[in-house]
Amino acid sequence: MNPASHAHPDVPSSEGDLIARFTRELELLHGRAIVANSEAEAAGALAALCRSENVRSVAAGRGITIDVDSFVNPLVQAGIAIEMIRADGVGEAERAAVRERLARCDLGLAEADYGIASTGTLAVAADASRPSSLTLLTPVSVVVLRAERIVPNLVALFEKIGPTGVAARRLTLISGPSRTADIEKRIVMGVHGPRGLHVIVIR
Amino acid sequence: MASAPGSFDFFAASRAAVKDHELRRKLANASGRHLEHLAEVVADFPPYEAERDRAREIKADAIGRLDELLAQLKERLGAAGCKVFFAANAADARDYVLGVARECGAKRVVKGKSMTSEEIDLNPAFEAAGIEAIETDLGEYIVQLRGERPSHIITPAIHLSKEDIGRLFANKFGIPYTSEPEALTAVARQRLREAFLSAEMGVAGVNFAIAETGTLVMVENEGNGRLCSSMPETFVALMGIEKVIPRLADLSHFLEILARTATGQKLTTYTTLLTGPRRPGELDGPRAMHVVILDNGRRAMLADPVLREALYCLRCGACLNVCPVYRRIGGHAYGATYGGPIGSIVSPSLFGSAAAYLPFASTLCGACRDVCPVKIDIPRILLHLRWKESEGATPIKWPPEIERARSGARAFARLARYPRLIRIAGKIAALVLKPFGRNGYIRKMPPPFSNWTESRDFPKPRP
Repeated sequence: MNPASHAHPDVPSSEGDLIARFTRELELLHGRAIVANSEAEAAGALAALCRSENVRSVAAGRGITIDVDSFVNPLVQAGIAIEMIRADGVGEAERAAVRERLARCDLGLAEADYGIASTGTLAVAADASRPSSLTLLTPVSVVVLRAERIVPNLVALFEKIGPTGVAARRLTLISGPSRTADIEKRIVMGVHGPRGLHVIVIR
Repeated sequence: MASAPGSFDFFAASRAAVKDHELRRKLANASGRHLEHLAEVVADFPPYEAERDRAREIKADAIGRLDELLAQLKERLGAAGCKVFFAANAADARDYVLGVARECGAKRVVKGKSMTSEEIDLNPAFEAAGIEAIETDLGEYIVQLRGERPSHIITPAIHLSKEDIGRLFANKFGIPYTSEPEALTAVARQRLREAFLSAEMGVAGVNFAIAETGTLVMVENEGNGRLCSSMPETFVALMGIEKVIPRLADLSHFLEILARTATGQKLTTYTTLLTGPRRPGELDGPRAMHVVILDNGRRAMLADPVLREALYCLRCGACLNVCPVYRRIGGHAYGATYGGPIGSIVSPSLFGSAAAYLPFASTLCGACRDVCPVKIDIPRILLHLRWKESEGATPIKWPPEIERARSGARAFARLARYPRLIRIAGKIAALVLKPFGRNGYIRKMPPPFSNWTESRDFPKPRP
């Protein structure tokens, strides 16, 4: 069997179809998708979200394609406290303190490396300036995703990243908010990780 | 040892479980619609059948050259900065993990979901060493608070109602009683978050290990596995030798079927691909990372051409959900770490003669084989293990009523060897039974035949 056999009619190929499928799947997972037409619009969407969720503090790291400062500066002006991970990462001595502060933030902001349309999944690779905690510790997680980085399915994702890419960094695939069904199979969000996941897709 | 059945009385336990109507209700509530859910997700994913076959092929290939792949995995894990330990048995694995805990001065250990940890009885060992080991998967946390063991591979607290859990939390934490799953989950989140941020060591199981890259793959919904592997300074990953897969390109074939069969999800919420400890400047990840690769009877399974297929198992738990025996008695009545059909085929190898009765705890209906994502022929293996048991040197001591039934079956087998004799016996039986029963079946017979008619009708022999 080759990867082509995964391309069942259900898997979209055009960018518009990929966005549509990604957002549909994400919302089935109780995630929320916001489609923005530019980086500025995306930054505006984040600020609006912070207002509606009554966010007082935001943790963020460096982006991949986006300029994080353009997202964060309006928040600072709105009086929101920012915990920014430096480009060179975290020193050994300050790790515990940074983690404590990050864990107390209301919202974590990150950029995804890729999205997977068929499952509404985000692929986020960690490095010094982009800790995995940003999508894990805060009650609300916001992830920015470039539409051109949405791939059809898992096979395409692993082909894109490749063995060397996978081995180089911690890679987390995120499909919706943290959830459990351990009490009488009732689905409850936010058991350990975020209870809210918002993805801002920039097309 | 608690994980090995030992002196455990399966017959008494299963009889009691069958009479527990409340347990039946919970099991039906939890797994009753498994097949309907599966049918829905499969209808939505046409390549499902092809992916099952592909996954099975990959497992067959990997298990067929296990030593080569394990050597490659060890080399890649080492290159990524992990310490690798091959444990021959449960005691070796426990000793190693405890050694690591002492070395890093751990007082508190947070544990992600790991059936392997249950298999090697790790928690009692931590307790004996004065180390607090906290299960962090919500279901595991609940059963640990109750001093119990998981009753299901995927949903460990399936045997408890929300009221049971509400009472447990009220008693243990001195909080007002609530049976609201949302509120109970919030209580657990707060308590466990504190544990994650303070524990010196994390332990978790592994779903796949990629030989090509030295990457450990962990799938979960809650995020506790991510926390266990990224907050503490020391992380120990536990895996059976059968978890190794050759290449990254193989992984998607498993991920596409695992969550679908286990829980009806397309993918689990989190899939972590972890290669080595944290790198310079990183906030998350352990400073020291250990990987314990456990044999504990698995190589003996490998050596048996029929049984080796059991090593393909992904621990999805689907065979439990569809098993008519599991659905009536639940996981605890099996008296072993792994209950249900898959437990019945792996436990005799992992726990020895103490689990020898488990292959008999099946109706051989085949539902497990049909639902298995990698199509393990569980009924065939059950029959194989029954045959091995009957050929073995130390036969099982059966309860008297079962021993009587077995003698009856043996007598019938002797008789059946002589066609003329059995025809005559049949005629006599037909004559004697003529006045009894209706529509060709007898509903009730006196002892010792009541053993049969207690649970099924007896077909009347025709003259």
